[in-house]
Amino acid sequence: MKRRSGKSRKIADWTVRALSSLAALIGIVFLVWILYEVTIRGAKALSPDFFFKLPTPPGIPGGGVANAILGTLVIIIMAALIGVPTGILAGVYLSEFGQETRFGAYVRFANNVMMGVPSIIVGLFVYTLLVLSTGHFSAYAGAVALAIIMLPVIARTTEDMLQLVPNGLREAALAIGSPRWKATFSVIFRAAKSGLITGVLLAMARVSGETAPLLFTAMNGPYWPRSLTQPTPNLTVTIFNYAMSPYRDWQQTAWGAALVIMAAVLALNIFTRLSLREAKK
Amino acid sequence: MAEKKKRHINADILFKAAASFCAALIFIIMAGILIELFRGSHLAISKFGFSFLTSQQWNPVTQQFGALSSIYGTLVSTAIAMLIAVPLSLVIALFLVELAPPALSRPVGYAIELLAAIPSIIYGMWGLFVFAPFLSQYVQPLLKKYLGFTPFFQGPPMGIGMLTAGIILSLMILPFISAVMRDVFQMVPAVVKESAFGMGATTWEVTRKVTIRYGMQGLIGASFLGLGRAIGETMAVTFVIGNDHRISASLFAAGNSIASTLANEFAEASDKLYLNSLIELGLVLFLITLLIQIAAQLWLKRLQKTVGSQ
Amino acid sequence: MTLLEVNNKSAEPEPGPVGSEVIGSYLNSQNRISVRKLNFWYGEHQALFDNNLDIAANKVTAIIGPSGCGKSTHIRVYNRIYKLYREQHAEGEVILDGQNILTAEEDFIELRRKIGMIFQRPTTFPMSVFENVAYGLRLHYKLSRGELRDRVEKALSRAVLWEEVKDKLNHPATALSGGQQQRLCIARAIAVEPEVLLMDEPTSAIDPVATAKIEELIESLKPNYTIVIVTHNMQQAARISDFTAFFYEGHIIEYGITRQIFTKPGKKQTENYITGRFG
Repeated sequence: MKRRSGKSRKIADWTVRALSSLAALIGIVFLVWILYEVTIRGAKALSPDFFFKLPTPPGIPGGGVANAILGTLVIIIMAALIGVPTGILAGVYLSEFGQETRFGAYVRFANNVMMGVPSIIVGLFVYTLLVLSTGHFSAYAGAVALAIIMLPVIARTTEDMLQLVPNGLREAALAIGSPRWKATFSVIFRAAKSGLITGVLLAMARVSGETAPLLFTAMNGPYWPRSLTQPTPNLTVTIFNYAMSPYRDWQQTAWGAALVIMAAVLALNIFTRLSLREAKK
Repeated sequence: MAEKKKRHINADILFKAAASFCAALIFIIMAGILIELFRGSHLAISKFGFSFLTSQQWNPVTQQFGALSSIYGTLVSTAIAMLIAVPLSLVIALFLVELAPPALSRPVGYAIELLAAIPSIIYGMWGLFVFAPFLSQYVQPLLKKYLGFTPFFQGPPMGIGMLTAGIILSLMILPFISAVMRDVFQMVPAVVKESAFGMGATTWEVTRKVTIRYGMQGLIGASFLGLGRAIGETMAVTFVIGNDHRISASLFAAGNSIASTLANEFAEASDKLYLNSLIELGLVLFLITLLIQIAAQLWLKRLQKTVGSQ
Repeated sequence: MTLLEVNNKSAEPEPGPVGSEVIGSYLNSQNRISVRKLNFWYGEHQALFDNNLDIAANKVTAIIGPSGCGKSTHIRVYNRIYKLYREQHAEGEVILDGQNILTAEEDFIELRRKIGMIFQRPTTFPMSVFENVAYGLRLHYKLSRGELRDRVEKALSRAVLWEEVKDKLNHPATALSGGQQQRLCIARAIAVEPEVLLMDEPTSAIDPVATAKIEELIESLKPNYTIVIVTHNMQQAARISDFTAFFYEGHIIEYGITRQIFTKPGKKQTENYITGRFG
């Protein structure tokens, strides 16, 4: 019987080890590259004007994206007000009532589909539903679109976190005479608190970086947001418009806005990770 | 005390109803999207019928619309992304679980996950202003020089185009696929790996013959996840794919994906047929996504059934 | 028909002095809970078969038997906690205060106040020590802050825990030791003044010293509560209970005065279990 040479096996092993490390390195190189470029180019655009002034036409200095920053905050808060309670309640249903039911199975399937739906399709949907029918773009259309994107994510993490709570705790709360709703909110939620909050924060972080769903719902605008039923300026669509424009200074502003968004999203991500680790201790 | 009790029971009924409603909402929205997309595109469906899927035409002036180039672009950019991301994710997962010491694997793993947190529009901007010029200056000329005899690497190395879009997409789906693959690798019981090692196998051999085989279905599931994300990705692709409605074999050429066309042209769509055609594009994308999801779910069900037998 | 006769119907007849003594004591003491022909299913699988049992008031009734024989399943019917799970259902009669628990349309929240439950692992809520005990009180009663504090102290004292936690009332319950947490669960249960206490292997996850404390506690609670304790530990059953029921594969094989069951069991099966031939 011919023996395979130990040498060739070792070489194969060594090659794969090298490739693996290389691959990990590639991933990190790209991460650093992106962070670096965005930071360097974006920093050039940051100034008090950037944060507090309204946009100016291309070529005229002194403009900023203050309206877009405000608009983004407004839209995200509205989206959270709609999406978070709905998502949590949906997750409560899946965990507390829908574990074995057929309805629960359908909802779970729909949830998985929704999590994979491209965000631009959600934007399209809200467009036909709320923009075409009312005749105008609006902040609340944008908020609804973002809420629809948040909903399945929050429902899933809520279900997962609630399921981690041992059944003994549920039974104990019920055994002492708690009604279902009180047992859920006072006892089970408290036991799953850190996981639930993390899920919500991560969903909000993800949604704040979204552009596509806002493209045809909230659209954009060069003025301060005046009403929730009007096109509303926001950072991500601003980045899109400005970056695709042929004007140097607008592109520069786009970099600044990109830096702001990226920093906010990454900071939120890192913050939730760290606090989750703290809570676990 | 009787008062307090009564309230509890009503509150419980309300509680279950509210929770059920929110859960049902998910289902309702999914159905709603399907319905609205059909409604919004009925003009185009009735005018073009099946030829919408086979026609390369995209002319707002002559009112001729066809999805072929968009579908082509979506599939090709996704294919490139998968070809790059899946093997890379595999070896990265391997690195993080088997090869790296814990002190190294945690920060590296976290760094890879951060790639997922970066909003796609950032990828788009970086792609357009940094990566595409880089590719056109250093990488594409090389590819053209050595592989230019194939139809894939012809034409001017512009930087933006199908290849760039594919590469950026692969970066974006890499963390998702590798995260799931990591979980799969970690779920292989230590005893199984140990018995293989005990027979004198090298790390790669254990991985190839034991770990991958054991977790094959999970690995494929991970790939499905990446596939789903790549197909629907909009902003990153829109910036770098070029918005051209012609189909070209060359990867250097510009093209378009369904998502990028929607993002680029929706604002300008003034007439009904144009709008309807765009919405029909959206419908096609939604149906593709739906099919992938169903396939992935069925796959996962099979996985759950056979996990015990492993 | 007396209980003994009902249970003996399907088994070999074993008459004797045991029968009349037990019947006598039944007629004398009141029964807090009466179980008749209780059947229970997990989905398609039947777990309890025609259970008949009388739980005597203000006494400790132990339920013993090998693992998986239906002991926990049985007592979980008393407070309808099995209703939490869709595929579990019960048929038969469980009479408490003249009403069949299983079919009563009445509010089961009051039922659960009357029947307290202690689980195998301490199930302290993720709150402070004080909040744990106050939880049930707030649920069922309208109390002023002072009244609440008094009732919490009283419950903790009855559970022989007050001295140990009086300075730690605001600490999270998880800061207590396992045995203390279990006593906290007992305090929580007795705070709402139940009539019956169900204990499902309350000391199996607790160290021996703490176990002894809890057994003393049970002894001290007896005059005021009816206690049903499921236990794996026969010595424990022999130590603290007045009556014992022996379960096997979902059937109640034998039931009677503890001393009798452990010294002169009526059935061969009981004897085999008690002498350790199986289980």
